[in-house]
Amino acid sequence: MTGQAVRIGGELWCEVAEWLYREAELLDGGRERDWLAMVSRDVVYQVPVRQTVERARGSGFLEETFHLDERYGSLESRVKRNETEFAWAEDPPSRVRHFVTNIRVARLTDGDVEVRSNLLLYRTRGDNTVPQLLAGERHDVLTRVNGALLLRRRVVRLDVTAIGTHNLAMIF
Amino acid sequence: MTAPLPSSERADRLLAEMRDDLARGALPAAIFGDEEIYRLELERIFARAWVYLGHESEIAARGDYVVRRIGEDPFILVRGEDGVVRAFFDACRHRGVQVCRADSGNTSHFRCPYHGWTYSTTGQLVGAPLWRSAFGNMDKASNGLATPAKLASYRGLVFATLDPNAPPLTDYLGGMAWYVDLLFGLNENGLEVIGPPQRFVIDANWKSPAENFAGDDYHLGTLHRSVWAVGAFPVPFKTNMMGYHIQASPGHSLSFSIAPDENDPGPKFFGFPEDLARTFGTKLISPEQLEVARRSRVMVGTIFPNLSILALPLTEDGAHHPPTAIVTLRTWQPRGVGHIEIWNWFLAWRHATPAQKERTYRAGLGTFSMGGSFEMDDTEPWITVSRTGRSTFARVANFKLNYQMGLPGVGVAKRVPDWKGPGICYWPRFEEGVQRNFYRFYLDFMQANGTYPRTRFDG
Repeated sequence: MTGQAVRIGGELWCEVAEWLYREAELLDGGRERDWLAMVSRDVVYQVPVRQTVERARGSGFLEETFHLDERYGSLESRVKRNETEFAWAEDPPSRVRHFVTNIRVARLTDGDVEVRSNLLLYRTRGDNTVPQLLAGERHDVLTRVNGALLLRRRVVRLDVTAIGTHNLAMIF
Repeated sequence: MTAPLPSSERADRLLAEMRDDLARGALPAAIFGDEEIYRLELERIFARAWVYLGHESEIAARGDYVVRRIGEDPFILVRGEDGVVRAFFDACRHRGVQVCRADSGNTSHFRCPYHGWTYSTTGQLVGAPLWRSAFGNMDKASNGLATPAKLASYRGLVFATLDPNAPPLTDYLGGMAWYVDLLFGLNENGLEVIGPPQRFVIDANWKSPAENFAGDDYHLGTLHRSVWAVGAFPVPFKTNMMGYHIQASPGHSLSFSIAPDENDPGPKFFGFPEDLARTFGTKLISPEQLEVARRSRVMVGTIFPNLSILALPLTEDGAHHPPTAIVTLRTWQPRGVGHIEIWNWFLAWRHATPAQKERTYRAGLGTFSMGGSFEMDDTEPWITVSRTGRSTFARVANFKLNYQMGLPGVGVAKRVPDWKGPGICYWPRFEEGVQRNFYRFYLDFMQANGTYPRTRFDG
């Protein structure tokens, strides 16, 4: 993290944790339209492609190649699509649960808030008993607009190189 | 092939019946789920057909490599220190251990982690620890990395075959090459990949997406109905059904959504921006090919067995960005009878501006990838085709699927008598001959009995 780290349990940390739990509740409840209200108009939301590489070459995340590379307009388009009667991919919807842990918070010099969290996405559909699991680390930047925090940047660094879910319709 | 082909009486009986079924537009559902059929496909199709490995732009520099699969087997595709592109079976000649442990990179050599046998980027065994004591006098030349029987490249697309009796790649592609040129040859700068591929594993059979991309346009009106609601695709469903279905040569099929005349106000050249389209010409292709491309809104096709090409105008955000051409290449790599690894590459013209490259990439990602508005719906039906295919009912009731659209008397599609390109052409796209062509060639391989299937239509 590049910002000034804040204490776990401190006021800002608690505000961010509440924000993240609120976000997870909306996403787990299928309330994507409400989730959009937590997103800044200049958001950059990315899931980079990862490759398996030797240890000396680092983590294998690519800078310019993505599974998802969204802006506010494309996120809004996704939400709108899911509100149609023909978005078969998620109708009937998967059941998704976001487990958010290891929350770390830092203040950036411009007033924005840098947040890292571990995410475990547990997803079932139909009568599946074996869940789809996706684990990763989220690198977020939250910005304050009229007192409320909004998501300005999210990079989801997934652990896998080949993604084993039938689609990426969910929001990380 | 030296080894005897495995056989299974039940599977071979199913295939024999399928030959008759296909002529009347039926297909046994069991081919999408039968374990024995799948095992035979690996031996009889993936070990014999020309299989796509990658694009030359992925390994532009000497020492660049990527790891790809033929069937389920790993091969290293590498540009050697001599500049030549080769493929090697990713297994050490000593004990069979994987020698390439990264997905891609640049290297001067491949070293086995077990005993240290080391190979050059041209596949030669160059040494091992304490060589003189361990292997002194042993012949290095005959212990290089093993290669596919043949490797060849067409317009930057690199294919390999494990069958030494396979015809040359250009013969195998046959008439399909004319249509590959029609896109890849529009400008002499060529197309290049935008970064390494996305990879997804879904619970479906590899043939479902392969036949879909052979020209299943009819599914857009139902499965992809949502894309019109968000303005992702500019051509209405019914209008988009106007166009050609082409059996380019045995196994390889494709489909074009075509404007009725050149003054049609809709997208031209798959929706490429006008200043790019102005660079398209006849240096590499004929006026007839250029004319088809000019009138094309969509081109989608499958090169048998598992490479598909798609070009069409799309946007990930219809409210803010007009549709622009995206080009995607994908392989449907089998990982068991009920699993596919989807490898997805986006391509852009080398001479496109950075802004054009970013736009086509973002439009592609937002539509034809696993998080995209088009493709996320596609996996849904393919998963349950596979479930139907492995059902007991499919076997005991001999459950057949309907592939009749466009057969004589079924629907409006008619053969185009004066078609300028190679192959068999139908208009409009209410037609499943493109899929039947895929499965006829499939059967030609599955029942080949050692001979190589004919790569030209009879007569």
